[in-house]
Amino acid sequence: MTVDSPAVRLQGVTKTFGRHRAVDHLDLTIPRGSLYGLLGPNGSGKTTTIRMIMGILHPDEGSVALLGAADLDETRRQRVGYLPEERGVYRKMRVLDFLVFLGEIRGLARVEGRRRASDWLDRLGLEEWADKRTEDLSKGMQQKVQFVATVLHEPEFLILDEPFSGLDPINQDVLEDIVRDFHRRGRTILFSTHLMHQAERLCQRVCLISRARKVLDGDLRELKRSEGDGAVEVEFEGPSGWWDGPEVSGVDLAADHVRIALADGADPQAVLRRGLAAGAVIRRFEIAEPSLHEIFVRHAGGEGAVDAGVPRELALDGVAGGAA
Amino acid sequence: MSGVVWAVIRREYLQRVRTRWFVASTVAAPLFMALLIAIPAFMASREGDSRSSLVVIDRTGVLYDDVAADLENLGYEVQRAPDAPDAEEALSRRVEQGDLGGVLVLSPDALDRGSVRLVTGGRPALVRQMAIRQIVVQSALAQRLGADEAAARTLLGGGELELVVLSDGGTRADEPAFVAAYGGAFILYMTILFYAIAVMRSVLEEKTNRIVEVVISSMRPHQLMLGKILGVGAVGLTQLGIWAAAAAAMFVAGIPALLAANPSMSQLAELAPFLPGLGYLGLFLVFFLGGYFMYAGLYAAVGAMCNTDEEAQSAQFPVIMLLVVPIIFVTQVIAEPNAPLSVGLSLFPPFSPILMFARAATGAAPMWQIGVSVVGMVAAVLVIAWVAGRIYKVGILMAGKRPTLPELWRWVREA
Repeated sequence: MTVDSPAVRLQGVTKTFGRHRAVDHLDLTIPRGSLYGLLGPNGSGKTTTIRMIMGILHPDEGSVALLGAADLDETRRQRVGYLPEERGVYRKMRVLDFLVFLGEIRGLARVEGRRRASDWLDRLGLEEWADKRTEDLSKGMQQKVQFVATVLHEPEFLILDEPFSGLDPINQDVLEDIVRDFHRRGRTILFSTHLMHQAERLCQRVCLISRARKVLDGDLRELKRSEGDGAVEVEFEGPSGWWDGPEVSGVDLAADHVRIALADGADPQAVLRRGLAAGAVIRRFEIAEPSLHEIFVRHAGGEGAVDAGVPRELALDGVAGGAA
Repeated sequence: MSGVVWAVIRREYLQRVRTRWFVASTVAAPLFMALLIAIPAFMASREGDSRSSLVVIDRTGVLYDDVAADLENLGYEVQRAPDAPDAEEALSRRVEQGDLGGVLVLSPDALDRGSVRLVTGGRPALVRQMAIRQIVVQSALAQRLGADEAAARTLLGGGELELVVLSDGGTRADEPAFVAAYGGAFILYMTILFYAIAVMRSVLEEKTNRIVEVVISSMRPHQLMLGKILGVGAVGLTQLGIWAAAAAAMFVAGIPALLAANPSMSQLAELAPFLPGLGYLGLFLVFFLGGYFMYAGLYAAVGAMCNTDEEAQSAQFPVIMLLVVPIIFVTQVIAEPNAPLSVGLSLFPPFSPILMFARAATGAAPMWQIGVSVVGMVAAVLVIAWVAGRIYKVGILMAGKRPTLPELWRWVREA
């Protein structure tokens, strides 16, 4: 085990529940310090993958290494902060006691846990709720408390499974800021979601999975660049037709903008300069990149793939059938 | 034991003992028992305060001295009235006006039939009535027998039977032993069932609240199950301990104090043979722990395979039967503790906590049989822990319908 080992390395990992293959020969490497998105529709195998990373499930085939080791002993798991998709609270516990308990089972001393929990509650404006029972919290407040419980022991690796589902935009921003803050401090974050735009906003690297298989993975910006067709989109006022030139391979004029396809290796800036020279008022000039959603659909084989996830009940039944 | 298990134990324990329900049930049960004994006694002694003066008309001419002495011991202020024809009527009027507590008339045939009339302003407690009757009868007997009163008292007490049992076979439990065996077995049944069900509810709660995945991401499922069973069990022991201490305090300090203050309550002393001794408490502890660990394991598995309280209600049926069967047999087993059926049933580990305890409490079970049942329970605990642990591990992450028996077997095999 070295510090340079990736936070997670999955090799050929396969998990089958009954007749349903939840994860199919998945290779995945999450570098340390990255903010990594695991993306796919509901039922595509994200949660099963994460449960195998956490050692809650064991793969039928392949190997899982977390923080450089395949043996998931207690202390290694305590270095991870895991917010499952299926998360809840002990309803009768007081908020502060609940946080201290979850810190304690991750190796955080009670006194220190109490201090940190109070700080977090202050930071999130929940200080008045410290001695209330968790069942008295609103759904949004519960989510924040669960989030605090995940990060309380300052884990070096955060695994967040659909962390923002059901949150209002304001609370979502609050939590996103905390995630970014963790990332800035060099922590590794694995973030799973079925909402592509959310991942687009947060993640550095992504892995797209569909129907238990990996579709593609890599650096988000590079992916988009390589998936782009080299077109630019321009919103402008004034004269038109200035875009014609040797590097332009096609033009698609829409009501409020023009989409200009460029030849391979062409410099988009040359087009921009021509437009300015022609006296056009450029409102928006954008190198058109496909959205993650478009990339996903392109690779997963049509729109159908996005919605053809396995029904959720079935996925959970599968867990029942063969958890090891 | 690792830190995470302690954390779970601690949480289960504190969450439970802090509830109002725990405090209420722990305090209320012994308090209720104590009140049941103390209130009538208190009432009886109050009775004496307000009507403490008695005038005795002795128409036998010989009983007054004995009777008066005993009445004074009971706390009455006793005066003798001359046996004039209209004395009773005149005195009764004074009772009516409240000047006198009462008039006790020893009829001429009191020496033959113990008949006596008490004229009083209000109905005295039953205990008082019995005490007065007994005083008259004792005095009459002492007079007629020419014996001293202590001898009469002993004879009236029913004499003494010294029992010499030469063989163990077919011993029948006498009354205190029956109460100890039956009462203890029943308390065992109640507490084992109650706390084992508490384990099931706790498992079910973690499952339905969807907190379980967070917890088992930091520990192994068997650690969570172990911590839960130990934590809930510790609550049970706390409650039983408080009850035992309260009972001990009542018998060791409370009742003697009561008797010293109020000798008329000497009947309470008859409770002494029912007092649990240390050996009895030790037996109780052993069989509680054995039974609790067996049933808590089974109930943890039941909780893990269900999703709702309703489901759990029906799924626990086979487990609850294992506890109910011995309760059905317990009276018979106590009556015939060494019949082959009693011995056989009490050696079956799931029945041992109740039936072997009952046999042991009557004093009928030989030591080696108690030993065998304890070994059997320990073995059963280990087997149950292994099987239940596997069912638990798979079950806690499962949603959807309850598993069938073959599915359950697959969980155990594959987990």
